[in-house]
Amino acid sequence: MSAIAISGADFLREHLRARLTLVLLVAIPALFVVASASVLGEFATALGGSVGGDSASALGAGWAAAFLAGALGFFQVSSSREADRRLALAGMGAVRVAVARISASVVLGVLISAVAFLTLLLSAGVTHPAHTFVAILIFALTYIGIGTLVGSFVSGALEGSLTVAFIFLIDAFSGPGMSDSGGIAGVMPTRKAADVLIDAGAGQGSPLGDWIAVGLITLGALALAAAAFWLSARPRST
Amino acid sequence: MAPTAGAEGDSTARGAVLRASGVEKSFHRGVPPRRRRIGVLKGAGLEVRRGELVGLVGENGSGKSTLMKIVVGLLERDAGAVERHGKLGYCPQTPLLWEKLTIGEHFELFARAYELDPARAESAAADLLEELQFGRYRDYRIEDLSGGTRQKLNLALALMHEPDLLLLDEPYSGFDWETYLRFWEMSERRRSGGMGILIVSHFLSERERLDRIYELRDGRCEES
Repeated sequence: MSAIAISGADFLREHLRARLTLVLLVAIPALFVVASASVLGEFATALGGSVGGDSASALGAGWAAAFLAGALGFFQVSSSREADRRLALAGMGAVRVAVARISASVVLGVLISAVAFLTLLLSAGVTHPAHTFVAILIFALTYIGIGTLVGSFVSGALEGSLTVAFIFLIDAFSGPGMSDSGGIAGVMPTRKAADVLIDAGAGQGSPLGDWIAVGLITLGALALAAAAFWLSARPRST
Repeated sequence: MAPTAGAEGDSTARGAVLRASGVEKSFHRGVPPRRRRIGVLKGAGLEVRRGELVGLVGENGSGKSTLMKIVVGLLERDAGAVERHGKLGYCPQTPLLWEKLTIGEHFELFARAYELDPARAESAAADLLEELQFGRYRDYRIEDLSGGTRQKLNLALALMHEPDLLLLDEPYSGFDWETYLRFWEMSERRRSGGMGILIVSHFLSERERLDRIYELRDGRCEES
């Protein structure tokens, strides 16, 4: 196995060996999806939005994936910054450490999305499985970018997780279906992904323009994550 | 500003594996308008040659770890030059490890970073586990280890590729007396094999074991 594959597998193992992470991996999607069908609809009405029913459940699965991915993305950078830098210095190099980290993050994103998707499938049913899974994965990958970006600027665990939660809350409650789409809603990162996921929940297809937009946003988020991992691991004066 | 790092072989006339000169570093503290600049290193310099065991001492806060991080490449310097020759081994003051991985997985990870072939990696790991006597913990995760055992692994990871230059920042904190003595025997053996070793400590009681000692005072290194 290559150095990248071994370190990527180790970075993944690091998260999957944390019992609390595994519990939250199941509990958060269950909470968001089951609760979202009713509560999210009421919230949306109060905020001027109109999402409800299956679309609300689908959106809940997306937000569950986003929340978990954002937190894990943040801790991928912040909890191992110094050790990653030591590994890079030992000869692995910052680029290979960053590639291993981003690989582990994408696998985590797929895993989180799969759990959120399964929860949605079991609790509310899914009309368009592929469409729905891809939309949930886009939420997760976008928030991996956000989490790692926060992790590269904020080192404290408390400050970092609060910052990720703050961005998440603004994003979630200003998104499509949740508000009247005015103000900052247009610039929030998961706006288009939410459109796609609401369409999937409602059993409709999404316009090509929306798919292109979410594709570009996801690629941008992954590029940001890769840059954050590289910045975090690079030696300072070589 | 970049050190000449990683060049294999002895490119200096006196066999120096590390040479730092005129190193300056200051940190900014506080927020405007009360922001101030604190100078830590003000032209520090030192040299480590092949087969030499060198100490760097200084009071708490004198800048020893800052100088070490600059020499290693973990911290930018404001001015000065750093030259390193050959393979580098670095043992940081605080064990920089991954809590959920086992000792064996750490060896495997660093073997890949050092580009050791599997047979050499296994032999190096087995020798170090034996030498530092912590082989029974090989399958333990870091989160389940005592501070002393973490420190043993921290040291072993710096040694497993038999570097030409070994930089040790307070390497024996957490060691019991037997391990402490074993540490010095290991260091002397490697010095005899031609390794250049720099040990940073706020307190060096084994001065007779060292070839030279630098004292870091007022941001400069003085050989004593």
